[in-house]
Amino acid sequence: VTGVLGVDVGGTFTDAVLVEGGTLRTAKVPTASRQEESVLAAARAVGTDRVSRFTHGTTVATNALLERKGARTALVTTAGFEHVLQLRRQTRAHLYRLCDDHPSPLVPLERCLGVRERAEPDGVKVPLDLDSLPHIDAEAVAVCLLHAYRWPEHEQRVAEELRRRLPGAHVVASHEIAPEFREYERASTTVADAYLGPAAGRYLRALADVAEAAGLPAPLVMRSSGGVASVAEAASHPALILVSGPAGGAVGAARIAREAGFPNAIALDMGGTSTDVCLITNGAVGRSHERTVGGFPIRLPTVDVHTVGAGGGSIARIDSGGALRVGPQSAGASPGPACYGRGGTEPTVTDANLALGRLPEELPGELRLDGAAAARALGGIEPEDVVRVVNAEMLRALRVVSVERGHDPADYALVAFGGAGPLHACELAEELGVRTVLVPDAAGVLSALGLAVSDERRDWVETRIVPLADAGELPASGDADLRYRGQSFELTIPLGRDLAARFHHAHEERYGYADERREIELVAVRGADVRRGPPLSLPSPAELRVTGPAIVEQPGSTIWVPRGWAGVRDGTSTLVLTRSQHRPPRQTNARG
Amino acid sequence: MNIELQVLGYALRAIAEEMGAVLVRSAFSANIKERRDCSTALFDRDGRMIAQAEHIPVHLGAMPDAVAAVAMHHPAPGEIWVLNDPYAGGTHLPDVTMVTRTPVGYAVSRAHHADIGAAEPGSMPASSRTLDEEGVVIPPTRLDDATLNALVERMRNADERRGDFRAQAATHRLADRRLAELCARRGEREVLAAMDALYAYSERVVRAAISAIPDGTYAAEDVLEAPDRDLLVRCSVTVAGESVSINFAGTSPQHDGNLNAPLAVARSASYFVVRCVTDPDLPASGGAFEPVHVTAPAGSLVNAEPPAAVAAGNVETSSRIVDVLFAAFGQAVPVPAQGQGTVNNVTFGNDRFTYYETIGGGQGACREADGPAAVHVAMSNTLSTPVDALELQYPPPRRELSAQARLGRFWSPARW
Repeated sequence: VTGVLGVDVGGTFTDAVLVEGGTLRTAKVPTASRQEESVLAAARAVGTDRVSRFTHGTTVATNALLERKGARTALVTTAGFEHVLQLRRQTRAHLYRLCDDHPSPLVPLERCLGVRERAEPDGVKVPLDLDSLPHIDAEAVAVCLLHAYRWPEHEQRVAEELRRRLPGAHVVASHEIAPEFREYERASTTVADAYLGPAAGRYLRALADVAEAAGLPAPLVMRSSGGVASVAEAASHPALILVSGPAGGAVGAARIAREAGFPNAIALDMGGTSTDVCLITNGAVGRSHERTVGGFPIRLPTVDVHTVGAGGGSIARIDSGGALRVGPQSAGASPGPACYGRGGTEPTVTDANLALGRLPEELPGELRLDGAAAARALGGIEPEDVVRVVNAEMLRALRVVSVERGHDPADYALVAFGGAGPLHACELAEELGVRTVLVPDAAGVLSALGLAVSDERRDWVETRIVPLADAGELPASGDADLRYRGQSFELTIPLGRDLAARFHHAHEERYGYADERREIELVAVRGADVRRGPPLSLPSPAELRVTGPAIVEQPGSTIWVPRGWAGVRDGTSTLVLTRSQHRPPRQTNARG
Repeated sequence: MNIELQVLGYALRAIAEEMGAVLVRSAFSANIKERRDCSTALFDRDGRMIAQAEHIPVHLGAMPDAVAAVAMHHPAPGEIWVLNDPYAGGTHLPDVTMVTRTPVGYAVSRAHHADIGAAEPGSMPASSRTLDEEGVVIPPTRLDDATLNALVERMRNADERRGDFRAQAATHRLADRRLAELCARRGEREVLAAMDALYAYSERVVRAAISAIPDGTYAAEDVLEAPDRDLLVRCSVTVAGESVSINFAGTSPQHDGNLNAPLAVARSASYFVVRCVTDPDLPASGGAFEPVHVTAPAGSLVNAEPPAAVAAGNVETSSRIVDVLFAAFGQAVPVPAQGQGTVNNVTFGNDRFTYYETIGGGQGACREADGPAAVHVAMSNTLSTPVDALELQYPPPRRELSAQARLGRFWSPARW
């Protein structure tokens, strides 16, 4: 029994990948409202009887948060700070639309309750008075006390008391999930974790039951950090699986790039409504410590995926100033682009690609594309313009993760996947100065492939705000969050020798200056315990050589190879596209 | 609109935004790093604002004067020019503006520094009567190490100030590099053409939106509460076809406190209101304000002359200008009800530290939605300093402060 199975649940389709001794089997099934049923259906489609490892990416937590279908949750804070969720950071949601509001907090004010106690940065100042903890009626409780990232004892005792009083409730204390300073972000993370606990627990238990009945191994669940953990771990802190889906894609892209000999790459996952990009350095997926989900800051380790609201279904229109805008409105899966013939009438990026001859007449799943409908929807809009504008949007995202972080895209390859990624990748590469584009044979199911081969990973963080010079001995591996004393944002530097020198250098690279006389402050030490995933051995499809302009059809995705580009797939499962000749930049006006 | 130019426009906007992001992440003043009280922008060679990364609206209309003030000195490429003089391109003294020449125009950054050397820590003195009581006045000056050191030595926490100045200067080197790359890739002529196109595009969008507002003259007034008496802010808004004229005739003369505002502040407030009632989603570009003409009597509260003190003009008077302009526009188009009508500054400090915060409140309702609670209203939109961060960086505040802050933030009622 040697097969590794990855099943990724998306909004429209659930993908399964089974890798076994150099063979790859894939399947796509529609996503049902009960995700565990889609998971099983997709797993059965690739075979469940020879599976030694079963990994899973899920949107259950994300959906519960976005659709506000979590538990009835309470929040316990230091008395006097009950309004922490309502106050947020005081900014309004939009600078000029004055009545736009933030999503309302996951806990209403009447369930935000104070307990008498107080810690300050240097220690406990007011002892905990458990008698002041009010009666609480809730299915889940978050506890977030001031300075608990440093002095967790009061939180521990409050959580203990709550677990005694409410044996059925899901209780989470901030120091257990996000022991980092900044109380709003810490409370927001803790509340999301508590809020999602019951729903995620129910789903994951159902999934485990279904897997067991089908003779599958116990599932491992992808976390936002890009590593998998057990069902029990995922259920105890579901805020850690909020970015489960994109994490699988990034891990898959990193693995494909590494196998193709490109340890530095940028993952480009373009779907129907959005595009995710992520930087991969030395074979490792970029990570970040915070992400906003549904308007709530979640301060937990996550793959550093940057998302823009532009995809194949994005709708194009001319605005009042005569400019062409594409997205963020999307035709989605239903009605979908006009050329799908399912009632869509507005022009989308997919319609433009079809009009440009970059899509075949029929997509897998017997979906015939209606070129006349696409042309009708586009009306007077030039399809090439639509592609250029949506590319500009994606280019912006690609620059955020590369140039703006001090990395020259010319040193990276672009890994294109998702339904639409391979259609746009070469043109984007050209704009960025990237010389190589990689398109895996499994581009349509790369997230599931990433799941199948992902590492097990358990992250940890310790907040320790001291001058670096006084920090004493630091762990040998992991990362340090460092800043000049007085700054508010940290740079994450790998632990090891010459830490200070490497911080100055990184600061210079990222912000354009360094100040070696200034004191460096340590804010946190982070690390992860990692157990490597299974080796990847993919089949090699027939050799392929292609010279642009050309279209290459693959299962689940179509590749557009523009003029000036050529591709080779030789003995591996990845098509390597390179710019064969330099093309001068486009000129706007004829020069005099 | 030509697609090539439109795509280049995205690239220009991205450069302005990257400047802003770098400033926030590398600064030292809580005001810049936690609260993002700063803006960055690219201008063309004619001194027209092309793209701005806005964090708060009060900087919207105030930068062109700074560019004009520096351009008079014919700065050379590579030189960094600095100013804060409200009567020579600035707004109030804590807002320090830097201007540099770029291959295709100017780059500008403006940030509210935590201290600028006034008699009181925080440099937002409650009782100043002339400008020189409010801190170090910097006319347009070429910044080198010696000048920088001389300036910061006259302010509190010279070392922190030096850090903020250097962080701000670094954004200009970044802009220079990015613009040079863009010109090398696309050609300087194309970049200049894209600047023109971006400017003209914003102008077209706003003109179209203004023409949808019924023509007419709409007037409104309200008072600003000075310690000794009420000061009048009066406006008259004339909408004619595709343009708007805003006149502040009838507004009180400048007073001997610090609620005075230079005309740049009145302009920022006017542009803010026009943005709200025309196209709130339009990316910031000077073209949007081409159809908006703002005038005010010289020597009035909203067009003050030296040596009037101006510390609160930027925060309080600007809020009241917004209130009266919404009241005037409200006679023609739907507008939100008035909010807390103040930026609500709190500062404290001593010789070793300074702390500055603006406290949110309630926004009045719109026709289709309630107004949000506990947010910054109108001209400000800064982040609050976390209690965790505050207590780590400053001497421990007493519990009363926290409770006060909580009540103030959440329960400030809308004015009507």
